[in-house]
Amino acid sequence: MATTATPETLPVHDDAHDLHSHADHKPPFFQRWFMSTNHKDIGTLYLIFAIFAGVIGGAVSGIMRAELAAPGIQYLSWWTSFLGGNGANFDETLHLWNVLISAHGLIMVFFMVMPAVIGGFGNWFVPLMIGAPDMAFPRMNNISFWLTFFAFISLMTSAFMPGGTGMGAGTGWTVYAPLSTSGSPGPAVDFAIFSLHLAGAASIMGAINFITTIFNMRAPGMTLHKMPLFVWSVLVTAFLLLLALPVLAAAITMLLTDRNFGTTFFDPAGGGDPILYQHLFWFFGHPEVYIMILPGFGIVSQIVSTFSKKPVFGYLGMAYAMVAIGVVGFIVWAHHMYTVGLSVNEKMYFTAATMVIAVPTGIKIFSWIATMWGGSLEFKSPMWWALGFIFLFTVGGVTGVVLANGGIDDNLHDTYYVVAHFHYVLSLGAVTALFAGWWYWFPKMFGKMHSEFLAKLQFVFFFVGVNTLFFPMHFLGMQGMPRRYPDYTPAFELWNKVATDGYMIMSVSMLIFFVNVIYSLVAGKKAAPNYWGEGATTLEWTLSSPPPFHQFETLPVIDDKAAH
Amino acid sequence: MRATTIRGRSGDNLVPDLQLQRGPIVLKIRKEGDRLVMGIRRTVQFIAGAATSLAILPQVAMAAVATADAPVAVATAAAAEVATGGYVPMKPTPGKGMPEDGAIWFQDQYSPIGDYGSWMHDAILMPLITVITLFVLLLMLWVMVRYRKSRNPVASKTSHNTLIEVIWTGLPVLILLGIAVPSIDLLATQYESPPKNAVTVKVNGYQWYWGYEYPDNGGFEVISNMLPEAEAIANGEPSQLAVDNRMVVPVGVPIRIQTMGMDVIHSFAVPSLWFKLDAVPGRLNEKTMFIKEPGVYYGQCSELCGARHGYMPIAVEALPMAQYEAWVLEQGGELPSSKQAPAKAAPAAATPAAAAVAAPSDKTAPEAEKPAAADSTTA
Amino acid sequence: MTSANFATPSDSNTPKSNAKVGLSALGIALAMLGLGYASVPLYRMFCQVTGLNGTTQRVDAAQANAVAITDKQMSIRFDANTAPGLAWDFRPERATETVTIGARDMATFLAKNNSNRPITGTATFNVTPVQAGIYFTKVQCFCFTEQTLQPGEEVRMPVLFYVDPAIIDDPDTADIEQITLSYTFYESTKG
Repeated sequence: MATTATPETLPVHDDAHDLHSHADHKPPFFQRWFMSTNHKDIGTLYLIFAIFAGVIGGAVSGIMRAELAAPGIQYLSWWTSFLGGNGANFDETLHLWNVLISAHGLIMVFFMVMPAVIGGFGNWFVPLMIGAPDMAFPRMNNISFWLTFFAFISLMTSAFMPGGTGMGAGTGWTVYAPLSTSGSPGPAVDFAIFSLHLAGAASIMGAINFITTIFNMRAPGMTLHKMPLFVWSVLVTAFLLLLALPVLAAAITMLLTDRNFGTTFFDPAGGGDPILYQHLFWFFGHPEVYIMILPGFGIVSQIVSTFSKKPVFGYLGMAYAMVAIGVVGFIVWAHHMYTVGLSVNEKMYFTAATMVIAVPTGIKIFSWIATMWGGSLEFKSPMWWALGFIFLFTVGGVTGVVLANGGIDDNLHDTYYVVAHFHYVLSLGAVTALFAGWWYWFPKMFGKMHSEFLAKLQFVFFFVGVNTLFFPMHFLGMQGMPRRYPDYTPAFELWNKVATDGYMIMSVSMLIFFVNVIYSLVAGKKAAPNYWGEGATTLEWTLSSPPPFHQFETLPVIDDKAAH
Repeated sequence: MRATTIRGRSGDNLVPDLQLQRGPIVLKIRKEGDRLVMGIRRTVQFIAGAATSLAILPQVAMAAVATADAPVAVATAAAAEVATGGYVPMKPTPGKGMPEDGAIWFQDQYSPIGDYGSWMHDAILMPLITVITLFVLLLMLWVMVRYRKSRNPVASKTSHNTLIEVIWTGLPVLILLGIAVPSIDLLATQYESPPKNAVTVKVNGYQWYWGYEYPDNGGFEVISNMLPEAEAIANGEPSQLAVDNRMVVPVGVPIRIQTMGMDVIHSFAVPSLWFKLDAVPGRLNEKTMFIKEPGVYYGQCSELCGARHGYMPIAVEALPMAQYEAWVLEQGGELPSSKQAPAKAAPAAATPAAAAVAAPSDKTAPEAEKPAAADSTTA
Repeated sequence: MTSANFATPSDSNTPKSNAKVGLSALGIALAMLGLGYASVPLYRMFCQVTGLNGTTQRVDAAQANAVAITDKQMSIRFDANTAPGLAWDFRPERATETVTIGARDMATFLAKNNSNRPITGTATFNVTPVQAGIYFTKVQCFCFTEQTLQPGEEVRMPVLFYVDPAIIDDPDTADIEQITLSYTFYESTKG
């Protein structure tokens, strides 16, 4: 572990008893939750928001999986009518499908994973782990959250606006021109783009806040090389956000002006190039996938170390592997564009550069295993989720090596193989890490112990469910089933049916999750400051559960001689 | 020169029925049972196949790729059909050029590049990623058993080992270099440019149908729409994949496929030919296609292009050259005078280009006026 | 930006230093935003300089005269497209031609306005295989300017070009036997 700050090395207020009188003075309800400047409250808001968005995004995928369980169009026309459209119109019905796939992607990326890992856990634990009283810019923190909230409202609104052949933005989460410009008249796509603007602005503000907090507000003795790996992961993520999101903002602003003000940035009619949009989008889009997964790496590092009762193996290698992943992530974007007509040299370069990413990723996988090697492993619920993460991420990672080969991608591009790959790294990777972090810190955040049994049961259902759901998609993709299809030839039926069954198993795990959360909040035992015991050595474990409203009014001092 | 024949319907007439497409429940369950059995059977086949792949030496596979260039046997059922009269759309062979029930692997490949690509995947990548995944899994299981708390109550404090860190950084680099060599060669092979006399088909992507233009045969364009499910089944073709007018090409020769999107981006993809190329508005893309044997090869649009993205399938019918030429003539097309591209005698014959045909020369594009005279250098 | 902070433990957090770091970060974000917009001209320039995406080169007659003529031949294919909604017939006079590498050649496209109103068109273009773009050089082209056709009017549109002899020596392009020059006419958005 990065820090070996033990209670002995810290000031006396680790138990926070003496601080309750003033440090726990909370503002009234409205001020506390609507005008919040407290990093823990904002973190909680982000987590609630992410769960809410996740339920909607998950429900959307439920509609998709139900439709895909059998060939033919089963339910889409009903849903079209239900959402206020004309279900008898074939194009409108099919348009809804495109709206669903776009909404699922946008919601899960921008309104579930990012708010949860960065807004939620980042806000909650970065200040605690570096011994800071709060974020550097608490008011900007609040603005970030509410921008994200209104971004979500804007996206939801777009679903009820005309978007060309039907209601809503049916452009895919990638919003490729010219489908998103001349191909989609009506305000729906404008609302979706505006939503991305707001979410992007929120994330850029968040990134500025994290960078400043981590550079400036570390407790005395907390050098960068002593920071817990979760903080490192958020720091790298913040830089990725800072460098990638403005490029997306520029690209989608140009889309907006192409749509509404007659510019031709991406329109060949005026000398523009639609491929340039793809370059800009993926210059953002590839770092974006690391934005989603890096904090997960950080969470898993904390958990593996805690339950092995050992410091992380190769701490510096781990930290700089993340930096390397972040840097290389900016020079591989066109591997998403292998079939647009790249020249052979471009394709060779992007093939080679993409494969380089496997090296730092491999370092992380092996370091986690080496951390456990020689440890004294305790299989508490977060450890189940973390171990699941390591395995599932490996599976998703190796299919990434397959797809990295431009010559192989010629067949697999835009098939279900790609869908399987990115769900293994994101749905099974980032989301598994999210649940790992949730059950690792849930008692710390809310002061009540959760049910270990239910958290493990949830893992079992989740693990079986997502593998049943996504593994057959490799088969479908290799057989040539294209993605973003509402209907298919009957030969694809078997594995689509199996995938839908997997969805149902997975949804049981979500039910168990909510049962566990409600049960724990209502009837959970009060959580001790350090409920995981000797393995949990980072600063948040020196505070009460939940931590006082204001922590570290006297800064903790980190033992300078502590080695990791 | 351009006898544009538009056949078939425009995209707008196509209204696949929206009714629930489900049989009686009992039947359906039995069908699923069958599918599952087939899935299991295929899994067993796969394991056997993977074992073979592992055993196959790269040279053997490469030899297979090389032989793919050999002349193709012409005698097929299609030949008989044509001999009796006009073009009759070929009956597809089940399992050839189309997805199969419950299959878990690539479609069988019918092009040299497909043989190379699937060999690269089956013999190099797949064994490698399987071994890596199993290695990680076994390490994890071993660690979980050996270092569980009850077995190992006191944790070690080891947090560094430079040697092992160098090894697990260096070894993946070597493995990736090993992958990169065939991968780069595969790419180079895919980019081999078609010869100048290659049959050329211009593939135009429309919302939501395909147009196949034959510029060397008089420039006619075949419009290709999806067949409704009932018609597809009546034809003995897979639904969602069958089309009214196929893209007909000759077998055993390189074909120059050029794609262009007419409204938004589409992607022309045929899995059994290892072929996928985007059709981008305002920008021509080109790639070589080579089909080893006659047959019908299905594909689907592979770039989101709007509402009916899932309803613009592709069917490529490969015929022996003689039948292909007969088909061209039947479409009202013409054959190039020789098998070569209609090469102009000499560039010097660049003729009185600046003189306008139907309009006075002042209507000719202004910028081009002068150079025509100064064109004497051409020779 | 904050190299001092990198090496040493942070000292007490004053609002001033927070503002400094925060503003530096904001500056990075704004720079990236600017880069996003700048990418449009940069990309165009990059394509023009490197021939990326099959972007053709453009020279004046003097430069073209200086090119050595080889004894090697290259087949050129011509491809013509019109955007949907543009009521023009637009086609090459010949589908293919054989030219001598290094020698200038003139190709002609025929365009006819089938509508009953004057239409101004502007053409986009590229060549395939895309790696030939850097060696495909235009001296004069109708695509350099907008073209206006009166109702029913038919015109011949010439393009004067040559294939750079360097194409023979580049391993990426040495095996190319035919280059396709493709045009797509769009109705001019300015006109």
